[in-house]
Amino acid sequence: MIRLEALGKRYKNVEVLNRVSLTVDDGAFVIITGRSGGGKTTLLSIAGALTRPDEGSVCIDEVDILQLPEPELAALRNRKIGFVFQFPSLIAPLTVLDNVLLPVAFSDRNPNHADRDFAESLLEQVGITGKNALYPSQLSGGQQRRVAIARAMMNRPSIILADEPTGDLDETTEAEIMNLFQGINHRGTTVVMVTHALDYAGLGRAYVLKNGGLLPYAGSALAPEASAQGGNALAPAVSAQGEVL
Amino acid sequence: MRRIFYLVGQNLKRKPFRTWLTVGAVALACAVLFSAAILSRGIHVTLRTAAERLGADIVAVPASAGEDALSALISGNPTSFYMPASLEDAVRKVPGVRQTCAQVYLRSLDAACCVAPVALVGYDQERDFTITPWVLRKMAEPLRNDQIIVGAKVISAVVGTPAKAIGQRLMFMGKPFTVASILEPTGLGTDYTVFLTMETAYQMIQGSPLYTVPVKRDQISTILVKVAEGANPTEVSGNIEKQLPQIKTYTPGALMRSFSGQLQSLVDALFTAGVLFGILAAALTGTLFTLSVRQRMREIGLFMAMGAGRGLIFRLIVLEAACLAVSGGLLGVIVGWAATRFSRETITEMIGNMYMWPDTAYFIQVAVLTAAATTAVGILGALYPAGRISRIEPYEAVRKGE
Ligand SMILES: Nc1ncnc2c1ncn2[C@@H]1O[C@H](COP(=O)(O)OP(=O)(O)O)[C@@H](O)[C@H]1O
Ligand SMILES: [Mg+2]
Repeated sequence: MIRLEALGKRYKNVEVLNRVSLTVDDGAFVIITGRSGGGKTTLLSIAGALTRPDEGSVCIDEVDILQLPEPELAALRNRKIGFVFQFPSLIAPLTVLDNVLLPVAFSDRNPNHADRDFAESLLEQVGITGKNALYPSQLSGGQQRRVAIARAMMNRPSIILADEPTGDLDETTEAEIMNLFQGINHRGTTVVMVTHALDYAGLGRAYVLKNGGLLPYAGSALAPEASAQGGNALAPAVSAQGEVL
Repeated sequence: MRRIFYLVGQNLKRKPFRTWLTVGAVALACAVLFSAAILSRGIHVTLRTAAERLGADIVAVPASAGEDALSALISGNPTSFYMPASLEDAVRKVPGVRQTCAQVYLRSLDAACCVAPVALVGYDQERDFTITPWVLRKMAEPLRNDQIIVGAKVISAVVGTPAKAIGQRLMFMGKPFTVASILEPTGLGTDYTVFLTMETAYQMIQGSPLYTVPVKRDQISTILVKVAEGANPTEVSGNIEKQLPQIKTYTPGALMRSFSGQLQSLVDALFTAGVLFGILAAALTGTLFTLSVRQRMREIGLFMAMGAGRGLIFRLIVLEAACLAVSGGLLGVIVGWAATRFSRETITEMIGNMYMWPDTAYFIQVAVLTAAATTAVGILGALYPAGRISRIEPYEAVRKGE
């Protein structure tokens, strides 16, 4: 379970998050949308222990991670969380298979045969076969994203945080990848996804990040373009900032 | 950890220019320091050995002999200079002097026997303490007038092994001699010197066409001095010159130093350059790694997001620098070793054959030390950027790296 409480974050004079609270139950699928620059990546990064909020608390499985010493925080990122970045994030000089195995390499052991088998099965699940020995530059953008998803799954995390995983992909690929996340979620992994693809808002519980606050998403009546332009177009069902749980 | 090495390897391959620049800088610093250490040790060994082998604490020559005396003492150049034999007694009376012995140098023609010009020197057998201790085979009886003791390099070139020279018959200035013994190599002028009895030396002078006014028994060329126990050779040396102004004295240390001065300044320059290059190498690794770390910021952020701890990131970067620095150190030692090997002849030419090379054990010691020092320097350069990057937040690293 992820519990974010009254998060505040500002960069210089820009307030990006203002008393944002959000609870994500185990096995939930949460979608966050909002205009570009609204602080979605910042919020996801706080939830993934990649950065600290200026205010508020972050609990993962009832542990206040802001109190954890750095080595334990690293271990948490390694074991509990799989982060899929907004941009291509494969390591260029490593092969597809080695990329997927990286999270194992960063735990305290060397990858073994079982790890390799598991990595291969993950690659198969995301639809990448026969490309284990290729390098990232030899793959298309969609394929790279799939490998990144497989990599995020490598250490069997209980939480996957995906930041616009289909942002730069065509519709067909987008649909396939959304499908992939749905499958991952159905098998019990908690998924928090930032996306503009609101056609998929129905996959789980959807929120909008607007003016530093998190509001429940009103529904599929709105075209994705509208919400991407800004929060103003959103339905009146939106309540007070930061009150959403 | 195996995977970490792999990552490091891949990364080094990705940046060949930076890799070679760092390796080159470290290698240069290492090579220069290595050569400096070897040469400096060589000078030290040379000075010590020369002082030991000369056997005398002070060498006194006629003040008028000037540079000729130096060249005769060090290189064995056949030259001649003379002073009254009575001066030996005078020197012996100077406070601090324990023992003296005289030698007389002959003006000689190139001897037919030998490759290099040899010096003919008559020595006082009874008082001698500089020749007899260094003979290869102890002589049962005193040297006869038709016998000689030869320096290590006088005839070994002709007969092969030095020991074979004993018993050989040689002609000098039309007179036949038998080799009674041979001296251990000293690296000094004695290697090219033939020692005769005083008696024979004066006889040969009488018969030589080179002397228009024959040098008589009351003439000598050098007085070798041993100081009393506890006396300071430099002080005694000064006393002799003060009391006997017609004499110029040398202590072996000063003698050698005057000859190796040129080499010493080269060594000083090398050491300075080595230290400068070392600082430069550290600064260069620092800069290159700062740049490289900045370039790889996103990658490092990604590693952290995947659970790589600060310690691991730090080790990753330092290990990379260590790989470069170790390669640089090894390369530097090889280059330095080669450089000192190939400069042997030049240096020998520069200061004569007295230069002594340090032994292999010392070479290895210096190699290990300089390689270790420059490796440390290379790693030192990477510590700061590594420390900085490992402290950054993963989110910041990923964002800044974009
Ligand atoms: N490290 C940072 N330094 C300064 N400003 C930042 C930093 N990170 C994010 N921002 C700013 O905060 C705002 C929110 O950024 P972000 O969380 O990436 O938004 P989103 O993911 O919704 O596009 C943006 O205006 C961005 O420029
Ligand atoms: Mg974003």
